[in-house]
Amino acid sequence: MNGQGRIGTLRLLLNPPKAIAYLVGQRHAIKDHLAREWRLYAMLLPTIVWLLVFLYKPMYGLQIAFKDYSIFKGVANSPWIGFEHFETLFSSDQFLRALRNTIAISFWSLLIGFPVPILLALMFNEILNKKFKSTAQTIVYLPHFISSVIIAGIVITAFSPSAGIVNTIIGWFGLDPVYFLTKPEWFRPIFIGTTIWQEAGFQSIVYLAAIAGVSPTLYESAVVDGASRWQMMWKITIPSIMPTIIIMLIIRIGNMLEVSFEMIILLYQPSTYETADVVNTFIYRQGLQNGQYDFAAAAGLFNAVIAFILVIGANTISKRYSRTSLW
Amino acid sequence: MSGVQLEGITKSYGALQVVHGIDLEVQEQEFVVLVGPSGCGKSTTLRMIAGLEEISGGTLTIDGRAMNRIAPKDRDVAMVFQNYALYPHLNVAENIAFGLRIRKESKEAIQAAVDEVGGILGLTPYLDRKPSDLSGGQRQRVAMGRAIVRRPKVFLFDEPLSNLDAKLRTQMRAEIKRLHKRLGATSIYVTHDQVEAMTLADRIVVMNDGRIEQVGSPMELFLNPANSFVAGFLGAPPMNQIKATIADGASSPVANFPGGQLALPPLPGLQNAVGREVIVGIRPEYAQIVTEAQPGSVACELDLVETLGSEALLHMSIQDEPFVIRTETLGAMDTLHAVTGFTAAPELIKVFDADTGMALSGQIRVA
Repeated sequence: MNGQGRIGTLRLLLNPPKAIAYLVGQRHAIKDHLAREWRLYAMLLPTIVWLLVFLYKPMYGLQIAFKDYSIFKGVANSPWIGFEHFETLFSSDQFLRALRNTIAISFWSLLIGFPVPILLALMFNEILNKKFKSTAQTIVYLPHFISSVIIAGIVITAFSPSAGIVNTIIGWFGLDPVYFLTKPEWFRPIFIGTTIWQEAGFQSIVYLAAIAGVSPTLYESAVVDGASRWQMMWKITIPSIMPTIIIMLIIRIGNMLEVSFEMIILLYQPSTYETADVVNTFIYRQGLQNGQYDFAAAAGLFNAVIAFILVIGANTISKRYSRTSLW
Repeated sequence: MSGVQLEGITKSYGALQVVHGIDLEVQEQEFVVLVGPSGCGKSTTLRMIAGLEEISGGTLTIDGRAMNRIAPKDRDVAMVFQNYALYPHLNVAENIAFGLRIRKESKEAIQAAVDEVGGILGLTPYLDRKPSDLSGGQRQRVAMGRAIVRRPKVFLFDEPLSNLDAKLRTQMRAEIKRLHKRLGATSIYVTHDQVEAMTLADRIVVMNDGRIEQVGSPMELFLNPANSFVAGFLGAPPMNQIKATIADGASSPVANFPGGQLALPPLPGLQNAVGREVIVGIRPEYAQIVTEAQPGSVACELDLVETLGSEALLHMSIQDEPFVIRTETLGAMDTLHAVTGFTAAPELIKVFDADTGMALSGQIRVA
């Protein structure tokens, strides 16, 4: 509250009849506002309900991370055990390995995967032939609309040692086939490559929209000044879409620990756990397969806290250095 | 420094032709203003000169070289845009230096050029600021700085003052005029504002519907418009144009209006023209008010008096046809509301053909 607001409130408190009149006035103002704008609130309602049901209500269950949870006693009646699950978590080699893998996969995904949609958008922007442009865009967007199960099926088939195209090509050079998906050292490149193939095209739409928002006179002015297309891309397009890039980077950093775990579950196998098992797949196995809900909730809560810190950190850094931020 | 020649320049978008054969010669160091209503093809013509639009037909020559197929960067022109076209991520100095950096000039040369331009345009205190931290006038100065820093052969201005408020526009207009005097560069300036055209131009090109209506000095166009379009476009308020019938007068032909008669200049086109319908053009400044009916005046009804300070605009009507008179207010405030008609000196009256709108030949030159 600013100084003036505080003084205003103080004056109201010292004058009860005026304060009542003020509150009644406020209530009328809210009523009038609702009567006028109820359609907007009606449109907002489904999203609020969705948020409450799927994001806020489950938070009630978070407490089992600090309890010895029993499905017979329920969430409320299970006994508190403090940070015991967290202690077990941090002494578990499996969890620490999953955490290391998550960080490694996220880091490489960010480093390699983040620039790809930007490059795609810049390339699409340079295509002058409209037909070629729309065809290329459709081809690149398409994998996003295919189910992850099918994508994983295609990848498994492509890397199959017997009939896969990759091993067939390797065979042409007289080399022995490699069973890529059982080799821990190959899991991360295959996984990162697959997610880029699946999502980069669709993610490029955001950057294309940002590029479309750049004033055409900036380019015309640069053309008259003698800039080449390459110079225009570096000196106009990229700096102009930088706020969008930063916002997307903040969101991406916030989701860093949320590695696309369904794709990992579809592609990994016990022989590649060493490099493939991430926090989310660990939670899935502990919680749903082994029935250790409380332990899995502790791992999930840890994941959420780290994600929260990452978002706050990235936003603060961005705000300080680039004047662009989510809030 | 160099001249620009346009010979039969046309522009078509598919089957739609928007510029119909423009012929124009801009002399070295001349300031030419293309003026006309929205959609008349003036900006398209300018963009063709800049190389931002392809030329559909005709020849464009700059400094004696045909430019139709030459890339914009090799035409040695600089353009100032309506919305400034400043790079939001660069500061003022970097914006001004952009063209020089692109051309890979040395750091020292760039610094010296930016300092000089900053000094000329009064931008030195703002060189480190981003465009978002500048006022509209300052932004437009930066846009001009970016154009002049390269010392191009030709400056092109595309409605550069349209986004500014009236006061700033007047101020910037004077700055552009001073800048042109100082640099002496060939300049082509597009605007829809006839005041800008009148104050800035050495010569004005009035365009309408993709064609040139008239080319001439501001006073030539003001005093001797070639047709009723030019007469109605230049001047604020524009020239009054009223239908009249030619009749024989004592010494020269007269124009018969519903409310009276006015003596016309002895134009060759009015010989043996008794009974012919014409359009009579009288500038608001050249009509003189009368408060009592008298021969050689036209009676009209006073609808409204707009007082502007030293002058007033009298909105009259001659049988529902509007007629505006601009007159001085000093010592005449009482008579303004008693006006019953107007008269005008024959040599200040223009006569246009009622069908074609063209000025009748032999108009008297007043300058």
